[in-house]
Amino acid sequence: MNELLNEFLVESYENMDQYEGSLIELEKDPTSKKLVSAIFRTLHTVKGTCGFLGLSRLEAIAHAGENLLSLVRDGVVSFNQAIASALLATGDAVRAILAQLEKTETEGDLDYSELVALLVSLQKPAAEGAASVAESAHPTKAAPTEARAVPVEAEAVPVKAPVKAAPATKAPAADPKPESKAVKAPVEVPVEASAAKAQPTAKAPEGDSPSGSKASDSTVRVNVELLDRLMNLVGELVLTRNQIVQLTGSLESVPMQAACHRLNHITTELQDRMMKTRVQPIDALWSKLPRTVRDLAQLCGKQIRLETEGAETELDRTVIEAIKDPMTHLLRNSVDHGVESPEERRAAGKNPEGRILLRAFHAAGLVTIEIIDDGGGIKVERVKARALERNLITPEKAATMSQQEVVNLIFQAGFSTAEKVSNISGRGVGMDVVKTQIEKIGGMVDMSTEVGKSTTCRIKIPLTLAIIPVVIVGCRGDRFAIPQTNLLEVIRLDKNLMVETVHETPVVRLRGNLLPIVFLDSVLAIKTGEREETQHLVVLQAGDRHFGLVVDTIHEAEEIVVKPLGRALTAVSCFAGATILGDGHVALILDIFGLGSRAAMFQSTRAANAFEEEAKAQGVGTGALLNELLVFHVGGIRAAMPLDMVSRLEEFSREQIEEAAGRQVIQYGGSIMPLISLSRALGFDETKSSDGRVQTIVYARNGRAVGLVIDGVEEIVRGNIEVQPAGRRSGVLGSAVIGKQITELIDAQDLVRTHASDLFE
Amino acid sequence: MRALIIDDSRTMRIIISKIVREIGFETGDAGDGQEGLNWIAENGFPELVCCDWNMPEMNGLEFVQHARAMPGNEAMHIMMITTESEADNVMAALEAGANEYLMKPFTKESIQDKLSILGLVP
Repeated sequence: MNELLNEFLVESYENMDQYEGSLIELEKDPTSKKLVSAIFRTLHTVKGTCGFLGLSRLEAIAHAGENLLSLVRDGVVSFNQAIASALLATGDAVRAILAQLEKTETEGDLDYSELVALLVSLQKPAAEGAASVAESAHPTKAAPTEARAVPVEAEAVPVKAPVKAAPATKAPAADPKPESKAVKAPVEVPVEASAAKAQPTAKAPEGDSPSGSKASDSTVRVNVELLDRLMNLVGELVLTRNQIVQLTGSLESVPMQAACHRLNHITTELQDRMMKTRVQPIDALWSKLPRTVRDLAQLCGKQIRLETEGAETELDRTVIEAIKDPMTHLLRNSVDHGVESPEERRAAGKNPEGRILLRAFHAAGLVTIEIIDDGGGIKVERVKARALERNLITPEKAATMSQQEVVNLIFQAGFSTAEKVSNISGRGVGMDVVKTQIEKIGGMVDMSTEVGKSTTCRIKIPLTLAIIPVVIVGCRGDRFAIPQTNLLEVIRLDKNLMVETVHETPVVRLRGNLLPIVFLDSVLAIKTGEREETQHLVVLQAGDRHFGLVVDTIHEAEEIVVKPLGRALTAVSCFAGATILGDGHVALILDIFGLGSRAAMFQSTRAANAFEEEAKAQGVGTGALLNELLVFHVGGIRAAMPLDMVSRLEEFSREQIEEAAGRQVIQYGGSIMPLISLSRALGFDETKSSDGRVQTIVYARNGRAVGLVIDGVEEIVRGNIEVQPAGRRSGVLGSAVIGKQITELIDAQDLVRTHASDLFE
Repeated sequence: MRALIIDDSRTMRIIISKIVREIGFETGDAGDGQEGLNWIAENGFPELVCCDWNMPEMNGLEFVQHARAMPGNEAMHIMMITTESEADNVMAALEAGANEYLMKPFTKESIQDKLSILGLVP
């Protein structure tokens, strides 16, 4: 592309950002002369250059907008919402043409005559319409009514203009490869004043420079591509440094050691500074949001004020790019579902104008971004009902969930509270997608709400994506890096933790839960090299789902520089990038989301629940694992019972327990289940948990279920257990040494016979 | 000979500088009137200033007023760059001390014509 056109595009995009921002501010402060002038100037600049580039279509639009603005500036026409909408539509049209220019170097052939006509029609002062009526009998009374009618009529029109322009405006946004954008906004790189002066080319200090150092003196515009390239080179340098440090570690040469130490030091600092050149204030993203909020609020008939705090908070531009979509979606959500209509707000005794606050700050090496609205809050019961309806949770689980847990259900796949699908937040993109997008860059998101008052959505994201902490693992001789953010724990696979198969899916039992697992070598189809004798299980988290990954060896934890993959590998969803280790080996970085879905681990939550349920039932029913025992504690002792006696483990809240026919019962799975306190049945004092939760073992026979109340589950053990018959006590088979501790073996059948005989006749 | 180009649009500065260089000037540039004054303070008076009208901070008219108030500015020619919508302003600028004006969009030839009126080119 011709350099001049390129410069024009970069400058005009900037101008249009400013144009839009100032217009929205002008809506709040319609009398500001300064704002009108600034808006006028941006459009004027665009128009002024058009003539040189032969852009007649763009010039016509800018010209019409400029004329209208000059009348506003001179006070001939007073600024109103109709004008604001028309001018915003003008901005959209200008952008659409710019986008077209960027792609095809032509203005495109969209017709904007309607928009131009609208801009021309708005140039008539509102009072003029009234003037013709002014001669009638009651001029003073007629005038205001007529005057008001004009903007209302005009208001319906601006909606059309952006729609016409839409195909062109959307095209660049939908472009999946941001790299293909010829125009990348350069970032302003602040250069410290001292550094600038130290440059040999700097002129001798001239004391009489009138305004001292100007802003333009201490910043230079640098192309982002150059910065990316530099970052890449620094990454290479870091890797080479690591190799050199490793190689010289064994040398005896003192000067060599010293030089190496310096190299180490400088490289670290260089890397650190380099990272800083890539940061941008989050305002780069936020400054585009007032327009979004304004348009949406108008569409929903709401009044919303958008405020920001910490707009100067700095983030790597790749991170800013990555949070753009989720952030916008969350904000749309706040406008659509968070803030109530002015009537509702008035009825609730609130200011009819709602407020959404965007807040960003650094904390604990992460950036926290909050979106806080002062709306009606999330209706917890409604969320719960919806989750039950969609089978996202079981009724038992629902009863024990905290408000916080319930609210965060909205991030689950298949959940959407919108009662009608609005075209605002219901764009077929659920909150689960938002969550996935944020987690993909190693971030977290959660919601909290205060009924009637506010809802806060909190996003925590890393400062950069270029360097990430990982754990290096080995598989058949190859090395792989697993991002720490996805990693929960690492466990050695031995005879206490064996791989079983449920429904043809390999699983392990981990603290009472079934964890589906995948073997890294089989997922990646690695056939060379040897499997190690002892393998390790890496427990990973991807979104809501957990799964285990079996690898051979666990190496060290490291901070690595992420390098993009070559084109040949980008189609493979299992890898997020590559890195070079200290010893010069290349390690591929595993993409946990991709890996999980490749291993078909991610069924919907509902399917996963069903899977778990069935898996448990099966594991128990077949009796294939006779020697498995569930170890728990009750009444201060350690007890165990064969796992095949356990149909399920359930947790209830104490309030759910009711009395019926002189017995404690609970509603469970649509019927009434009697509860037996194991500690009382065994002759111990009853202990009550402090958290109001009741742990039970569900024992089922012949279609009837009994809940055995225990204090808590410890583990599941496997192996040959030698039972010592110890005394004759009701409900106890004997005792055994399990895991080096004396454990009582419970005879559930006997207990139930004694305490709930009527049920199992 | 030196020319100072004052315009808040980078694109315009590139366009004007290119033409003026082709005619035979060395060029310097500034983003608004104040920066223009600073440039003069640092580099002395150029033979020619091409100055945009509508700029943030200090506009073209204010620049002309300030520049003409500086001692020793007599040899400097100021040419206002303007558009037809600002035609009224041209008079004000000429009264304040601008020598010529040029209407956007212009060509190399139209600049050359104006400069020969000013006697800067043959």
